[in-house]
Amino acid sequence: MMCRADQQPDPQDADADADADRTADAAFAALLEDSAEDLYENAPCGYLSTLMDGTIAKINGTLLDWLGLEREAVVGRKRFTDLLTVGGKLYHETHFAPLLRMQSEISGIALEMKQTGGGRIPVLVSSAVKHGTTGQPLLIRTTVFDARDRRAYEEELLRRREAAEEARRQAEADRARLQEALAVLQQSLLPDTLPPVPGAQTATHYHTASPDRLGGDFYDVFALDGQRFGFFLGDVCGKGPQAAALTSLTRYTLRAAALHDPDPVSALTTLNTVLHERYAGSGDPRYCTAVYGTLEPDPATGQLAVHLAAGGHPPAIVLRADGTADFLPTPGGLLVGILPSAPFTDATTVLGPGDTLLLYTDGLTEARTGQDRAGLYGDEALLAFVTAHAGKPPHAVVQALTGLLDSFGDGLDDDTALLAIGVPASDPQTRDER
Amino acid sequence: MSPLKITPRDAATGPVLELSGELDYANVAELHQALDGLALRPGRCLVLDMSGLEFCDSSGITALIAARSNAQTVRADVALAAVPPNILRVLRIVGLDQIFTVHPDIESATRP
Repeated sequence: MMCRADQQPDPQDADADADADRTADAAFAALLEDSAEDLYENAPCGYLSTLMDGTIAKINGTLLDWLGLEREAVVGRKRFTDLLTVGGKLYHETHFAPLLRMQSEISGIALEMKQTGGGRIPVLVSSAVKHGTTGQPLLIRTTVFDARDRRAYEEELLRRREAAEEARRQAEADRARLQEALAVLQQSLLPDTLPPVPGAQTATHYHTASPDRLGGDFYDVFALDGQRFGFFLGDVCGKGPQAAALTSLTRYTLRAAALHDPDPVSALTTLNTVLHERYAGSGDPRYCTAVYGTLEPDPATGQLAVHLAAGGHPPAIVLRADGTADFLPTPGGLLVGILPSAPFTDATTVLGPGDTLLLYTDGLTEARTGQDRAGLYGDEALLAFVTAHAGKPPHAVVQALTGLLDSFGDGLDDDTALLAIGVPASDPQTRDER
Repeated sequence: MSPLKITPRDAATGPVLELSGELDYANVAELHQALDGLALRPGRCLVLDMSGLEFCDSSGITALIAARSNAQTVRADVALAAVPPNILRVLRIVGLDQIFTVHPDIESATRP
């Protein structure tokens, strides 16, 4: 039920109801503003009325207080826009006033007003045009709400959003930089291309078990002197950055050692000393498996002499042009880096036309082929597989093995590196397959 | 995949850890913990009974090497017993069969 003094009593109302209404009205009257003028002057918002040209005709005390102005200096002397900041003025001219002219009312527009003394006060402004009896616009009534709290809240939100945005940009930039660094590192761990070896062909494949983990397998081929080339392939223990650091140390130690003394056992012995020196006593044993060897092409015969040694590594396989294949055993070679001095075993072979030397890491022979790990692929299965490809050039052998690796799917949970070095077949038909 | 099970006991020669299941990257920390918890005295020998071990990856190999090097710092030893053929094959490839004493069974490993 409404409680308004000017309300017509409903003739149907019971007397009791009317009595109750009158009592309530009296109680409200005591609490309510006794003067509309006082409400106008001291309302919790600013009021002002302007002529259609903006000249201020009436302004309440609240707004004068906010702005620090005297009524005499404002009424009839200033326009509404004089109370606004430059930005507020501009917005008023371009948006506020035209919209008000079109719609006769506008509400909740955020503007800034100037305070005496140079301060600014963010406000929300609503205006309505009062029309005369013939519909002509007479004046503009405006309410002004203090928006300082709201503005502070919005600014805080904005600041937070900008901070979050900045953090996200920074994180993305960091991630991009990290990926770039990882890519450069990975390249330094694995060569893009191998140098041409006269009278020989090489082919490689690297299977990464996880794309965002730096791999632990490595290989390289490089010139030693005018005639000979060095090559190596191996697998460091562990994964990630520590494994990558170990890979890097291993690669560069082997290359430097090989230039100093290309003998395979000497090079692996130097590597063993360096790794043991570096990681022994750290409480975190780190080591690698490696095959290192030299290639010496003989231009007269077209043959390639291979001298290699291995530590902790599965034996290399030699595929012959006649369709046979066999391991090139290097028994007893110890993991590189776990003991101060370690035994390494060397072996030699000669590759003739159509022969290929295959080096691989244990991802290949440790791949799971069944449901459990008892069903590992194994070295005998590998030998049988490659025997079927004996006589083919290195790239064809690597291609066949890549297909085999792909067929393991999830069974292959380790990185796998392949390096095949061969002498082109003298049979022109086979050579044309290249 | 069978989980790794580590059962410690004592023998006349020193502590014994019976390993069974699969030892790999995912659970190798359990073996490291078990090894750290052992009080290996000088002159004693830690025997790793591997008869029930079905699989051992390179993380497991690392744990064996760490066990050996820790034992050596207290002038003790580590021996392997009853190593299944597939794991022995891996140990041969990496040359560890030369640096560990490998016993065919647990009885010969723990005979004082």
